[in-house]
Amino acid sequence: MSAATKQKIIESAIRLFNQDGVANVRLQQIADEAGISVGNLAYHYRNKDAIVASVYENLFEEFADILSFYLKGPGLSDFDRQLDLYYDFFAKYKFYLIDLFEVERSHQTIMSAWQQFVAKMLIQIRKRIDYCVQRGLVRPEPIPGIYDTLTHNIWMTIVFWIPQQVLKGQPFSSGHFKHAIWAQISPYLTPRGLTEYESEVQPLGVNP
Amino acid sequence: MGRSFVLSPELYAQVLDQLSSLYFTDKPGYSTDMNFLRDDLWLCDTVVIEHLQARKGLWEVSLVFAHYQMPLRFLARRITHHTCPRRAEMMAFYMRRLAAKDQRGTLRISSESFHTPLN
Repeated sequence: MSAATKQKIIESAIRLFNQDGVANVRLQQIADEAGISVGNLAYHYRNKDAIVASVYENLFEEFADILSFYLKGPGLSDFDRQLDLYYDFFAKYKFYLIDLFEVERSHQTIMSAWQQFVAKMLIQIRKRIDYCVQRGLVRPEPIPGIYDTLTHNIWMTIVFWIPQQVLKGQPFSSGHFKHAIWAQISPYLTPRGLTEYESEVQPLGVNP
Repeated sequence: MGRSFVLSPELYAQVLDQLSSLYFTDKPGYSTDMNFLRDDLWLCDTVVIEHLQARKGLWEVSLVFAHYQMPLRFLARRITHHTCPRRAEMMAFYMRRLAAKDQRGTLRISSESFHTPLN
């Protein structure tokens, strides 16, 4: 079935991109991984650029889904759920960061789409902090501008935590990933926020 | 390929602000808000009309309770369903007799009371 074959090609391409990097993967390898002939692959995608574009299309769709999980619920656990989704996403598409600059050179539209997503992600994190301040879970900004810095630090941890673990040759897990983010937020939690964190977020698998 | 719609960061921030404020502006309701469901004395002065409807391969029996002076004040309740239309009709008849205040059916309303504009 055509749709199933296309999906198989994309999944194989993602596996190989993660393993060897986008630049080092040839069409033959993708075809072998998907268990089809190169001719069949060429029928579905005329060249590697078309596969890369399709992979990124999937990736953007998934990312947009994650962004739509903003304030589905009023508590801190809502952010924790979104962190789970971010973790799954960045673990699945590890190649994105490895090939970030290569992609920037050759696929300008992909890069600009990414920048839009990054901007939305930053706005979401900042607004979430404001919301928690309003709810009395996070202290009002102690030093002007510090929550903007916190926002950037949280964003960097979400995006670059997995690659830095890979770089250090250390294993990575969802619990450790989430702990790295909550560790930055917890110093700003009010006693009420801390109680909510301990009762609702920690049981969801935040591992120190 | 057409250019996709892009929301500016400023507008996106405003949308998120509105979303956040929902949790502060939306308040939980009070039990008295649902009094309109509990205030059912008016049902004493209603005409009960049986209603049969074919639905998902079954004959569904509903009773419509409409106030005899203000027919637009009405309540419809599904009662039961049967595979046989005759049995459903019979059940509707008995259920109506059971529910109606005047079992002989002297209270009447006509469809004209609804003043339904057909255009």
